[in-house]
Amino acid sequence: MAFCPVQLGAHGCLTALGDAAQTHAALLRGERALSLVPVHGSAGGDPVPLALLPGRSLDETSPPSWLPDVKRLMRGCPEAPWGGARHPVFVTSSNFGVGNLYEFRRTALASHLGYGTPEACVGFIGRELGWGGNVSIVSHACVSANVGLVLAARQVASGLADQALVFTFDFLSPFVAGGFHALKILNSEFPAPYQARATGSIGLGDGAAFAVLRRPGTGWIIAGQTLHNEMHHFTAFPPDGAGFIACIEPLVRLASGRRLWIKGHGTGTLDSGRLEAEAFGRVMPSCPLVGWKGSIGHTLGSNGLVELAVAVESLRSGRIPGTVGSAAPAFSETVALEPITDGSFDGVLCASNAFGGAHAALLLCHA
Amino acid sequence: MLEGYVSYVGTDDAGGEDPAATRARLRAGLSPGFSRRATVLGLLIGGVLRGVMEQCGGTTVYASAYGETRTLADFLDTFPHESPTLFQTSIHPSAVQQVMIERKLPIREYVPFAGGPCLAARALLAALLSPCDPVVFCGGEERGSWMADIGVASDRSFAFALALRKSRDASTLARLRLEPADGDPEARTGSAPGGMAFPAWFDLLHSRRNFNGTVSAEWRLGLEWT
Repeated sequence: MAFCPVQLGAHGCLTALGDAAQTHAALLRGERALSLVPVHGSAGGDPVPLALLPGRSLDETSPPSWLPDVKRLMRGCPEAPWGGARHPVFVTSSNFGVGNLYEFRRTALASHLGYGTPEACVGFIGRELGWGGNVSIVSHACVSANVGLVLAARQVASGLADQALVFTFDFLSPFVAGGFHALKILNSEFPAPYQARATGSIGLGDGAAFAVLRRPGTGWIIAGQTLHNEMHHFTAFPPDGAGFIACIEPLVRLASGRRLWIKGHGTGTLDSGRLEAEAFGRVMPSCPLVGWKGSIGHTLGSNGLVELAVAVESLRSGRIPGTVGSAAPAFSETVALEPITDGSFDGVLCASNAFGGAHAALLLCHA
Repeated sequence: MLEGYVSYVGTDDAGGEDPAATRARLRAGLSPGFSRRATVLGLLIGGVLRGVMEQCGGTTVYASAYGETRTLADFLDTFPHESPTLFQTSIHPSAVQQVMIERKLPIREYVPFAGGPCLAARALLAALLSPCDPVVFCGGEERGSWMADIGVASDRSFAFALALRKSRDASTLARLRLEPADGDPEARTGSAPGGMAFPAWFDLLHSRRNFNGTVSAEWRLGLEWT
């Protein structure tokens, strides 16, 4: 497999716990950002665990209520002619402005339509952030950010781009909360990723992140990225867990000789959590596995980049948050429930999954 | 310059065809369950991929600005008693997934684009940069219901699929190349003046027309049919 190693330049994220450093610190303290919120926002409904940005309502507004947060996050992005010919932007999301479409259907307020499609929503963000037109819009459910990182790395590695910006955002709305609630995996229980218990559940979270990719130099390197789509079932993996292994095996070979930990997907669903923990335990038995969605919730299409930013903080500080929200017994002995303070790791494998049996993984290490 | 050689083309210009008619037309060869459950876009994509299905396993690039808009509209109307089936099917990029899950055909790299003023150019660039050979590039739209009336869905249905190889061979039907557009690269920061709209890209393929012109602010496309 041909990898396109790239330098992870400036990066940052925003979760309900704050920026990357604040999120990392809160996870180390074992804080849970999720709280029970009516699934349809002001329209009521069953209480479900959601992690909304401070002060943000689940109901979408026009203009979107998350715009100030996005602008605050992007103040950390270095100045460059983003959206110019040699500075492509890759915007990824699984939601875009679908919350506004829901509000339009509910209220008939036409102003919501200005954000209701991916193109309209990204066009709005691009104008607000001063981007040019070289913007690709990518959406592959909960591996959206990972696909954007792969495409950005290829443009940098091919010499077509001096730098590439990947920006991802997923802000919750009754549309997405209602959808997952209908699937019965978003219920009134808080998620406990990788914990062997009677009932599985997930929590959802607001999230946004960015990363600037450059040709390899000093600092953090995304040494390799892989994708794999099992196409077995929309919402289930084959019972042998083979897809998890097929996705990470090339990276395991690439990481030979490194001491790794794994940032898993770990939403809190039982079957997927067991398959993931067991597969990683078989292939990487000496690598501790952690998952953070029991605290910050599943940030959907953005989780791959949101959690990458937190993983960088973990590597930088030598302190890795444990699997917040979970307790013994876990699906595998490799699941780390408590923070890891052993600073001897020199890389992390970050994994994500999505509907359709989609897998994505990347290897982050120091140059 | 980036180039690729088209070894397969499938197109379906369903236009304003009624969804029930599309379903009836494309039913042949499909399982009854799939032809009943699949979205209109899923049926159209399944139809154009039929001749290239076995080549999708490496890299498949997919483009649709609006995706499963009819299902999305139906899902919105189920609130406050949301349908789980409509929810999962409405999520981009389900059209290719519906087809591949039905046939249990895995794809190593599935790269779905979701709109933008230069959708075809962005997706084509991704296809040409993929190390895989061949790459399948497919996409399309389904005509929306009430969402089309308010401009947030396509007003016509269409689908296409291409197989792209890295070198010419006996199966070559056309040559595609992307070349940097003229002028100072960093000055080209506008929102794609002269960019090619997604339906126009489909029309090029459907009519097998040669083309040499700008498809985005950054790229010129050459398309020559043999």
